[in-house]
Amino acid sequence: MADNTHSQAKSTGVQTTGHVWDGDLQELNNPLPVWWTYTFYATMVFALAYWLAYPSWPIGKGFLPGMNTITYVNTEGKEESWHWNTRAKLLKETQDAVIAQKPYYDKIAGLPYEEIAKDPELSSFIVSAGKAVFSDNCAACHQAGGQGKVGFFPNLADDDWLYGGSYATINQTLTKGRRGYMPPFNESLEAGQIDQLAHYVFSLSGGKADPAKVAKGKDLFHSQAGACYYCHGDNAKGRMDIGSANLTDQVWLWADVPGSPDDTVKIDAIRKVIVGGLNKGVMPAWEGRLSAEQIKLLTVYVHELGGGK
Amino acid sequence: MSATSVAATEQYDYDIIKKFSVMAIVWAVVGMSAGVYIASELAWPFLNFDSPYLSFGRFRPVHTGAVIFGFGGSALFATSYYVVQRTCQTRLFAPGLATFTFWGWQAVIVLAALSYVSGFSQGREYAEMEWPIDLLILFVWVAYGAVFIGTLMQRKQPHIYVANWFYLSFILVTALLHTFNNIAVPVSLFSLKSYSLFSGAQDAMTQWWYGHNAVGFFLTAAFLGMMYYFVPKHAGRPIYSYRLSIVHFWALSFMYMWVGTHHLHWTALPDWASTLGATFSIMLLLPSWGGMINGIMTLSGAWDKLRTDPIMRFMIVALSFYGMSTFEGPLMSLKDVNALSHYTDWTVGHVHSGALGWVAMIAFGSLYHMIPKLWNTQIFSVRLINAHFWLATIGTLLYITAMWISGISQGLMWRAFDDFGNLQYSFVESVAAMHPFYAMRAIGGMFFLTGMLLMAYNVFATIRQGVRDAASAQARSAVATA
Repeated sequence: MADNTHSQAKSTGVQTTGHVWDGDLQELNNPLPVWWTYTFYATMVFALAYWLAYPSWPIGKGFLPGMNTITYVNTEGKEESWHWNTRAKLLKETQDAVIAQKPYYDKIAGLPYEEIAKDPELSSFIVSAGKAVFSDNCAACHQAGGQGKVGFFPNLADDDWLYGGSYATINQTLTKGRRGYMPPFNESLEAGQIDQLAHYVFSLSGGKADPAKVAKGKDLFHSQAGACYYCHGDNAKGRMDIGSANLTDQVWLWADVPGSPDDTVKIDAIRKVIVGGLNKGVMPAWEGRLSAEQIKLLTVYVHELGGGK
Repeated sequence: MSATSVAATEQYDYDIIKKFSVMAIVWAVVGMSAGVYIASELAWPFLNFDSPYLSFGRFRPVHTGAVIFGFGGSALFATSYYVVQRTCQTRLFAPGLATFTFWGWQAVIVLAALSYVSGFSQGREYAEMEWPIDLLILFVWVAYGAVFIGTLMQRKQPHIYVANWFYLSFILVTALLHTFNNIAVPVSLFSLKSYSLFSGAQDAMTQWWYGHNAVGFFLTAAFLGMMYYFVPKHAGRPIYSYRLSIVHFWALSFMYMWVGTHHLHWTALPDWASTLGATFSIMLLLPSWGGMINGIMTLSGAWDKLRTDPIMRFMIVALSFYGMSTFEGPLMSLKDVNALSHYTDWTVGHVHSGALGWVAMIAFGSLYHMIPKLWNTQIFSVRLINAHFWLATIGTLLYITAMWISGISQGLMWRAFDDFGNLQYSFVESVAAMHPFYAMRAIGGMFFLTGMLLMAYNVFATIRQGVRDAASAQARSAVATA
């Protein structure tokens, strides 16, 4: 052991600590690299500066607030100043945005829909702000472009509307929400009758169906027993006041007719709806969650998605 | 050379180390496969197959648990038992307890994975195990501490080698972290669910105090211990600076404890706590680099070996990734940088530059050095190690590059405003923009996994060769004595 003490390592010429482990493990006695030491000190100086800038060390029930401040105009229009903190930063950024957008919202609130849509500046604002509000609140169901999802949520970008595509009805839909309902017919009608109805409904939009069944289905549709015309109307074009579907167009929401491979499956998809009815067409009311101006903005945005009337 | 190794295989308790080494390889294959699978799920969601058991949420902790605790943990048990015996020149203290640590630890990994897949999770990142598994970990860990410290105490060397300090700090701190992060009241004796003792922001802070120190002591200090033995041993060169090793050890241990709150910037955590986390992260940079400098300077003068020795290449690349990710970490912990990086894939990339680049590569280098010695043989194929090295390096680079691009794009898209001050992108648009990078990440993972499979085969062939050699040597000596 004594021989090893402060012996020089053969390869480097630097002294070792004199210890040897596991046959050949040694340590050189090199000092700390100077750049390492000074850079380490520099990080400490940086930390010190950071502590002076931001809230840092806790003292008693408080903490060092730091020298950075955040100043903003609050919701009451008064200027507030705080030591740097994340809450004030959020309030400042939110308030700044609210103030910047206020002139647009004020204009929107004061103008009728038609004029808003005509104003080029307001229109570009609505495309911008409407997209943000739509993405956050509507896109989860109606999808990012408003294209909807067959079997679940209506397409807002076409000109087929269950409850109407005018500004007023879209606004009503957004504000109060909607609840679509179709009763199940599996108890009031027999399987054969439901089959006839399904063939008839399929033929309404130009589908190829069994003519005999279509004829019987047509009678049933307009009879007191079937009573389909109550809601879908004598001409089967639906009633917007209750949101019943137009059965004569090619637009299908609940039964995935366009996505089905052949006529049998298509008719079967229609049959399923008649058998089970529908109780999932729920659009929530947004009046508690969005402001009247935001709803008005969304109304125009949705109207302009492609199919407004 | 062979005479001393034969002596070593009898002098030290190698059986337990062999067991842990084999399981390290097994868990690496399992964990990395799970990782590649979940990365592919993100790129190609049909891989969920609408099954809850295969969903990302349940499979992700299977991946992290198998690679961190299965692969990393087994590699640490194996190397720490190897290093502590050889540098203390003594056999393991309480070998029965050591055997318990093996079976107990393997049971923890298996039970944890099964519980995650069946939907049981504490919901604490890297501490997802429910309370009964936590208790088992506690027993295993106390046994581990007893074996390690007991062995240190019966050392035949007056000084404790530096690698052992790092291993010791890892064992002590992990005990501390595991205990305090899992203090919970079970719903009932027969329920796996429990309630944390802490609530709200304090609970989150406890979790990230655990989370970051798990990175700090489990994945850094312990693997530095590995580095401090296997790098000088393999290079046949002395450690560059004893003083640097002491100073950076204590600085690292002291600084790490504070930094967990940088995971909670821009949350409900008090701002002062997040400031302290950021500054201690900055001050952690040089203590972390101390390990890198000591490792690289130790190799300095043996550079020629890089041309011929892929094990050495694993070590030097590991140290480089270690230096890179310990620079990136403090950067990301600054409030303003974090405002961009938080919740994005940049974080995921950062973790993997440490996990693949540093942790896995230093473990590969160490295992390639140690396994032939355990079975008293030569490595089966150096060319396969070389192929593994390139696959692992390319895989890591693909992975972190993909995550840098996607993470920074995400961060920028989330904060992009148009002329009217409205958000320019919806969230789903940022998800769609990630797709090519998710595919690239999955491919990077596939590279890394392929390298791992080569290693598994190479290790299997090496062990088979060692066992055959031993059998024929025994037969020869039996003939000789007859």
